[in-house]
Amino acid sequence: MSVQTNGKQRSHKAEMALKRMKSKLNRQVVGSLVGCVHCGMCTDSCHYVQTNPGDVTYAPAWKADRLRKIFKREIDWTGRVFPWWVGAKSVFSDEDLEELKDIAFGKCTNCRRCTINCPMGVDFATFNRMLRGMLVSVGVMPEGVAVVSKDQWEIGNQMGVLKEDYLDTLEWMADEMQIELDDESAQIPIDKKNANVVYSINPREVKYDPRTISDAAKIFHMAGEDWTMPSEGWDMTNFGLFSGDDDLGGAVAGMLYDKVIELKGKKLVISECGHGYRSTRCEGPNWAKKDVPFEMESSVITMLNYIKEGRIKVDKSRNPQPVTFHDSCNNARSCGLFEEPRELLQLVCEDFREMYPNRAENYCCTGGGGAMSMSEYAGRRLKSAKVKADQLKATGAEVVVTSCHNCVDGLSDCIKHYELGMEVTQLVNLVANALVIPEKPVVVPVEKEAEKVVAHAESLVNRTILIVDDEPDILTFFSTVLEDNGARILTATDGEEAVELAMREQPDLITLDINMPGKDGGWVFSRLREEKATSQIPVCIISGKPELRRLIYERSVPPPEGYVDKPVDEAMLMRNVRKILDLSKRDQTHSVESN
Amino acid sequence: MITPEAMHLAESMAHYALIVMAIVYTLRLRWFLGFAAGKERQAPTGAEDTTPKKGSMYSLMNIAMPWAMESTRKKPFFYMQFVLFHLGVVSGITLSFTIPFAPEFTASPVVHLLFKIFLGAACLVGFMRIIRRMTDKYVRAISTPDDHFAVWLLTVWFGLAFFATDMAGGWMQYIYFWMTMFFLLYVPFSKISHYLYYPFTRWYIGKTMGRRGVYPIRRGRVAG
Repeated sequence: MSVQTNGKQRSHKAEMALKRMKSKLNRQVVGSLVGCVHCGMCTDSCHYVQTNPGDVTYAPAWKADRLRKIFKREIDWTGRVFPWWVGAKSVFSDEDLEELKDIAFGKCTNCRRCTINCPMGVDFATFNRMLRGMLVSVGVMPEGVAVVSKDQWEIGNQMGVLKEDYLDTLEWMADEMQIELDDESAQIPIDKKNANVVYSINPREVKYDPRTISDAAKIFHMAGEDWTMPSEGWDMTNFGLFSGDDDLGGAVAGMLYDKVIELKGKKLVISECGHGYRSTRCEGPNWAKKDVPFEMESSVITMLNYIKEGRIKVDKSRNPQPVTFHDSCNNARSCGLFEEPRELLQLVCEDFREMYPNRAENYCCTGGGGAMSMSEYAGRRLKSAKVKADQLKATGAEVVVTSCHNCVDGLSDCIKHYELGMEVTQLVNLVANALVIPEKPVVVPVEKEAEKVVAHAESLVNRTILIVDDEPDILTFFSTVLEDNGARILTATDGEEAVELAMREQPDLITLDINMPGKDGGWVFSRLREEKATSQIPVCIISGKPELRRLIYERSVPPPEGYVDKPVDEAMLMRNVRKILDLSKRDQTHSVESN
Repeated sequence: MITPEAMHLAESMAHYALIVMAIVYTLRLRWFLGFAAGKERQAPTGAEDTTPKKGSMYSLMNIAMPWAMESTRKKPFFYMQFVLFHLGVVSGITLSFTIPFAPEFTASPVVHLLFKIFLGAACLVGFMRIIRRMTDKYVRAISTPDDHFAVWLLTVWFGLAFFATDMAGGWMQYIYFWMTMFFLLYVPFSKISHYLYYPFTRWYIGKTMGRRGVYPIRRGRVAG
């Protein structure tokens, strides 16, 4: 279907996209569209330009002109009368929209660095987001953006985490915390009314990095906080920021606000996530068109206040390695959150090294603006990450800390690609690691302690555990620990051997390393789940890289029963093995009862 | 020699053009203000000593703070060009009033010298800008015919104004006034009218960034 316009045919999509543009124009955006003088001062501020010298299509002003040309042709009077003279040009075909998609999504992360370097105050990132919104409104977007947006519209969170999986993870994390702290009062309260703090998280934490949940829970518990997590409306991330879809942005933010109001929470604490913080704390009320009647703050500020108020004690010597800090663009450049994380780092780390440039002038991790979900542009993204890699390398740090899950993934990719050998972590992990937990003065009679040891040793008797790992040290360590606790051990060093052994021996549990040469853990996991003979065997994933969990989660098979992050110590291994075996036993009991 | 009547006509036309420009600007502003301003509902974030008002003032003033933005901080020579170019514009416009209405002021040696310096420097910068617009790959790619014409127009106008300061009643002055008339009529329809929007764009971005604690920009010790 097409429409006749000024003697030219215009596709229906192009027509609708223009309608959308006209409906979204406000004074701020129009000011930015008419205010550019084409001085080119913004050019060098963009990480894409710096890594693609000579390619003008990455220059912020050139990219901005794609929308500006349309605006001039359709709205601005000089462009309507003398289009050639002022470079005005509209869109007519679906191909024109596809070209715009490549620029709006594939050549800009909306990091806003050019904005703060524009002498005219042109907010390019804001109208690039508007351009994205125009395209999304007619279904022109990268597939990843469509998938994530769909999940957030339909399931309520951007990774499609089901309610039961979310609650299971919280329960699991609470159990771990209880064991670790040896304190049954350590809980993750769900849907508690009138709590002082309602804690919202990123679904990535549930799927790939549950350790951040247990670390946060530990901090809240140690601070004696009256807190809760909502059973629904818990996702503080918001793909509306990346897709430019204000309706989605408003709906997601509104869900979270409504839940806090329903729970009568006093304060919404937002876990470490740049775009989540910006969306929930700053943009959400604008998108949802409602004033929020409660306080909202980043968990970084909450943790800092706990230390300042003496509610938790930390020992910085537990984080002795040199660390640097990466400012998330959304946190720093769009929300002014840059001093608090530094103050916190100084309190929990021994050797903090500044990165330059920093704060509002920092470079994007290159995974921002939803870039991590757009696999078609991964090559461009990694090429542009050279700027970040150079910044990181210059610090000489071993660990880069950031307050953003998106940045964790973007930086991890950058570090891997440029072989920097650095670790990426978040403040919550460092604070939890530095926590000083008062020891309990428990006196255990000698005979009872002995009974306990026997009981533990017996707990794995008659259990067969298959350990799949390509590292001999891990195989030896796991075998020793589990054998000492009474288990019968099988080992496999590659994927095919693992599947064969599992089918033949029917173990009670499999510990599976994700990162193996040849058939990796993801392949093994799929095979085990697909084969009828092994589909019910509980699997505990072992990984040194939380981001690799996507190798498991992206498969259309039931999720694994547990995860353990490397490095693994004896207590952690035994805790997880027991828990998975107990759960599995409980499930079997349930299924027998229901039969 | 130009007759006083012809010179008077040229001067008057330039001043009438100013009135036309003001009318077109009024219409432009009316059009611009017809777009509703986006509302900010969020509670302030960032450092406690930043406010929307402070952010706006900082944003408006950063034209005079080359250290405030990396883009100007790292290119001090370019910033100097910007300053001279705009001083040239102010001088050129002022001259169109002082020649007919305060010739003794224009003839004062100090004022005369200042006009010469500002207009001469602006003309030189204009030529540099013309070359840059044609040779810099990035700038050329974003330049429209209006961008090229605007910088040519101003550069020639600076040159005419430069000579108009000391050729009372001469051809240069005569052409300068007709050129001023054309310049003033053209400006509202070209990118030269950017200064009309400048206070708005800077005010709004400053207000947002001030509310969010980003403006005034803070930097750690030494920026790379």
